[in-house]
Amino acid sequence: MILQAKNIHFSYPGEPIFKGFNFNLKEGEKVVVKGESGSGKSTLFRLIMGFELPDRGELLYKGEPLTGSALRHFRTKSAWLPQDLNIGEGTVMEVVQYPFQFKQSGNSMPDSEKIKEIFSDLGLEPETLQKTFSDLSTGQRQRVGLALCILLKKPVMLLDEPTSALDEASKQKAANHLLSDPKRTILSTSHDPWWVERCDRIIDLDYHT
Amino acid sequence: MDIIQLSWFQLAIGFIILIIPAAIFWWYKTGLNRQMVIATIRMTLQLLFVGYYLEYLFEYDNAWLNTAWIMIMVVVADFATIDRSDLKSKWSLILPIFFATFLGIILINLFFLELVIQLPKFLEAQYAIPITGMVLGNCLRSNVIGINDFYYNLKNNKERYQFYLASGATRAEALYPFFQSALKKSANPTLASMATIGLVSLPGMMTGQILSGASPMTAIQYQIMIMLAIFSGTILSVFLAIKFCNRTVFFENDMLDQSIFKD
Repeated sequence: MILQAKNIHFSYPGEPIFKGFNFNLKEGEKVVVKGESGSGKSTLFRLIMGFELPDRGELLYKGEPLTGSALRHFRTKSAWLPQDLNIGEGTVMEVVQYPFQFKQSGNSMPDSEKIKEIFSDLGLEPETLQKTFSDLSTGQRQRVGLALCILLKKPVMLLDEPTSALDEASKQKAANHLLSDPKRTILSTSHDPWWVERCDRIIDLDYHT
Repeated sequence: MDIIQLSWFQLAIGFIILIIPAAIFWWYKTGLNRQMVIATIRMTLQLLFVGYYLEYLFEYDNAWLNTAWIMIMVVVADFATIDRSDLKSKWSLILPIFFATFLGIILINLFFLELVIQLPKFLEAQYAIPITGMVLGNCLRSNVIGINDFYYNLKNNKERYQFYLASGATRAEALYPFFQSALKKSANPTLASMATIGLVSLPGMMTGQILSGASPMTAIQYQIMIMLAIFSGTILSVFLAIKFCNRTVFFENDMLDQSIFKD
């Protein structure tokens, strides 16, 4: 198993989210997490990333509990696309290039042609790269985030509504980039039947929690 | 040329000038008169106390005693920094800011007093205390701006920080843009005052030296030195304060302890 949740209990003050939640994810699986609003889809991603700590139970990456150095190691192998992306005040090019400077992530900086190619696949004009990131619309920011995830080529991806800002043509290209690698594990949330159809299975949080 | 000695009576006359701001405050119903009276009394008593203490300090002029006084100044500055910031008074902030400011001040003092001025006596009170006071006052202001900007920027843009962590950044790498912003904001006031000094304002130290009979050129040399000390001291202390605090206000999962915020 690449990712496991064992008997996870988690609540925000006065609001229980998970009461003994379990899941197993095999390497290469493409899974969609479904559930009502407030069922804990985004919280699950935040727990896996270590941004929230479970009240009880544990999360494991390749059998190792996701804490301390194992958590940091996992983060070098992962990419995360939150629903509302707010990652900086610089130009889009600066924002896209910054994660490639992280020493432990082991990524080499993509050239500007590669960045423009991915941008074009996701329906973003090359001129977008020179714009200020915070001036972009929510949909454009989401697409830039998705482009960044594609460029980072991580083996594990947690994607919150990856196709919500894409048109039909861009969806197909995004899916080609994201789903074609059989070794890549993807955990996503989606209300888009098109995306759900292309994933291997569904985890229903309304049923599990 | 010696300085004209002020009698206590002459100084008392000086207080009469407060009638002007008091009248302006009263006319515009600012409600600031009470605050003005308290601030004036505090300023007078604190300076009188320091005056008496400094006379004692100058008389004995012992390096250990001077260091102890510098430590007291740093402790007061430390608590004032937390008090004026929008962060809670917690040991996880008080201790690192104390060590950062103390280390910054000691390094700056050793460099300027021992290497540049080359005092005949180690940490001589006549030089060490006033220079420390001036650097420390500025460190306080910069630390307040720096730590406020750093932690509130991080609080308001936590998605950015978390996104970087999730993409494989170390904590230091993910905090880099927040450091950049805090350093810029805290350096700006000193950089602005360095750019206009002499043209818009004649600084206090230089004015004091000229009043006590020093030649304007000597006063200017000292002023240039003190501006260098203030600028490097403030940047060093902001840098160290954030670095040291970051060792105590983050959890193992790299998340910031939210209980440091007042609101």
